[in-house]
Amino acid sequence: MRVMNLWLAGVLVGLTLSCAAWGKGAVLVVNSAGASLSVVDMDTQKELRRIPVLREPHHLMLTPDGRELLVGDTAGNEMLFLDPATFELKRRMTLADPYQLGFSPDGRLLVVTGLARAQVDVYDARSMQLVKRFPLASMPSHLDFSPDSSAVYVSLQGTGKLAALDLRRLAVLWTAAVGKAPAGVMWQNGRVLVANMGEDNVAVVDPTDGRVERRIRTGKGAHQLFRSPDGKIIWVNNRVEGSTVSLDAATLAVGHTYRVPGGPDDIVFAPDGKLWITERFAQKVAVLDPTTGTMTEIDVGRSPHGIYMNASAQAR
Amino acid sequence: MDLNVPFDLAAGWLQENLLLPVMYRLDLMQWEDVSLGWALFAVYGLAQVAVMYAICLPLEKWRPVENWPDKRAVAVDVVYTLIARVGLLPLLTFVVFYQLQVWLSGWMTDHGWVPPTLERLIPGLLGHQLLTFFLYVVILDFFDYWRHRLSHVFNWWYALHALHHAQRQMTFWSDDRNHLLDEVISFVWFMAIGLAIGISPLQFPLIVLLLRLLESLSHANTRVSFGWLGERLLISPRFHRAHHGVTAAGLRSVNYGAILPWWDMLFRTADFTREFVRTGDPTAEEVFASGGYMAQQWAGMRRLVRSVARTPRTTSRAAPAAPFRAGTPD
Repeated sequence: MRVMNLWLAGVLVGLTLSCAAWGKGAVLVVNSAGASLSVVDMDTQKELRRIPVLREPHHLMLTPDGRELLVGDTAGNEMLFLDPATFELKRRMTLADPYQLGFSPDGRLLVVTGLARAQVDVYDARSMQLVKRFPLASMPSHLDFSPDSSAVYVSLQGTGKLAALDLRRLAVLWTAAVGKAPAGVMWQNGRVLVANMGEDNVAVVDPTDGRVERRIRTGKGAHQLFRSPDGKIIWVNNRVEGSTVSLDAATLAVGHTYRVPGGPDDIVFAPDGKLWITERFAQKVAVLDPTTGTMTEIDVGRSPHGIYMNASAQAR
Repeated sequence: MDLNVPFDLAAGWLQENLLLPVMYRLDLMQWEDVSLGWALFAVYGLAQVAVMYAICLPLEKWRPVENWPDKRAVAVDVVYTLIARVGLLPLLTFVVFYQLQVWLSGWMTDHGWVPPTLERLIPGLLGHQLLTFFLYVVILDFFDYWRHRLSHVFNWWYALHALHHAQRQMTFWSDDRNHLLDEVISFVWFMAIGLAIGISPLQFPLIVLLLRLLESLSHANTRVSFGWLGERLLISPRFHRAHHGVTAAGLRSVNYGAILPWWDMLFRTADFTREFVRTGDPTAEEVFASGGYMAQQWAGMRRLVRSVARTPRTTSRAAPAAPFRAGTPD
């Protein structure tokens, strides 16, 4: 009996300890100027460990089947393939200047922008063979697809334009001026939204010809756009103003503005409704509760950029 | 605690509160990612100057080699230091080196060559930043030895480098006293080596700070040596002062190394025997020693043109330097 009690006590202690160690989930933060990835425990909101990478990682993307997490290391000319459950590095692939990346909605193609090399590469998502390279001046940065996967829209940060690429004919459909230093791109209700970082607005663009239909003022340095999990809100980070703004996804009317200092960049949404936002210049991740407006911060590495959350990940 | 954090936060503050608003106003927001790198280097550059001042000045007060009643010649070296460590060097690193590195390594990747890095050559180094950096330092220091030695071999190159040697009041500020063109040549040299071995400027700013501190210390006006063994491991003020000696200036000198004396020992240019010699270059025009920043730059260009026009080598070759005691005629 005594042995049994000891065993039960041991099991209970073990379970408690393992829960504390594994947490409720984990967040992976890409430290672009620190050549590392931070693994953060969602429960304790503490950095658990850092994974070294070669040079300068920026963005990440989950494969359509959810089995691999891709992280692009631009100056390292590498694509890293991680296990999204444990963040273990599974393999590396040599690839020129992978900055922003995205899979077409049909899962067939992977599009990679090379910001420093002024190129957009289209890969076969399954074989990772390069299908087509588009030299595009200049600084192609962010991208999004039409829902039918027929086109990808890429912001050209250096020339103030948006490029539409036909993914069936593999040809440039059009390029059109949309504003100064355009960054974030999002397809929304048959229109393309482009956040103009050199201005204070999001341009609403006609996907057929690139004409700007109207502009929605969000704040200085409008940078990136994120859709909430329920699809009702679009969040816009304003880099210069240091704020995060909510837009009604149906009407694009401006809702709330929250002060987020430190150059807010990318966002992931936690199951509890909070927004995890990378703060590029503060070496932190902000955790914003939009219901109360309160915010806490988590220390990570230098210049945190891309962010990925797995609420069921085994954080350690 | 990560010692980089206070510097990183200061750079972030600079980026958020000064650089971004200015770039937004000037329509330069497309460069906001690169400007963070510049901010990091500028902050680390300022920290270098502050740490250098805090460490070297007490040493110069404690055991000076020479005392000068008029220190105006030192003031111009302060200008050189600020330009090199807070302005020019960070700007060149980020506008030129960064872009070139991305372009070249991406081009190599496209052609099926894996861009070289030590970490790819020795995969075990990944994650061991201190060890990796030490290896990078050894390689860079080796090539810097040859850059410096060659600047004493070619007449046209020494025409520029003479500015560095002309200082008779050598202090810890004198490390960055270089002709702008000489700085550009050095930068291109380092860039080529850096590209060839895949060094990443962003990963090691704190260690770069320490190395630059060593280079400043080696120029300090102080009677400090590291002892028999120490001087064979790291370059001391005594060892480097011999390189700046009046009789060692010119096309043949000794002790060319910057951080490690190993290359001087290996290639038989080390001289551990000299005491604290008088510094300067008697072959240089007076403006090289006592002129203002712009006058020195202009004089350097004139000397360069003259040296290119004149085919035979005319700069004096060095004779072995005599030991020098402060206050005694040399």
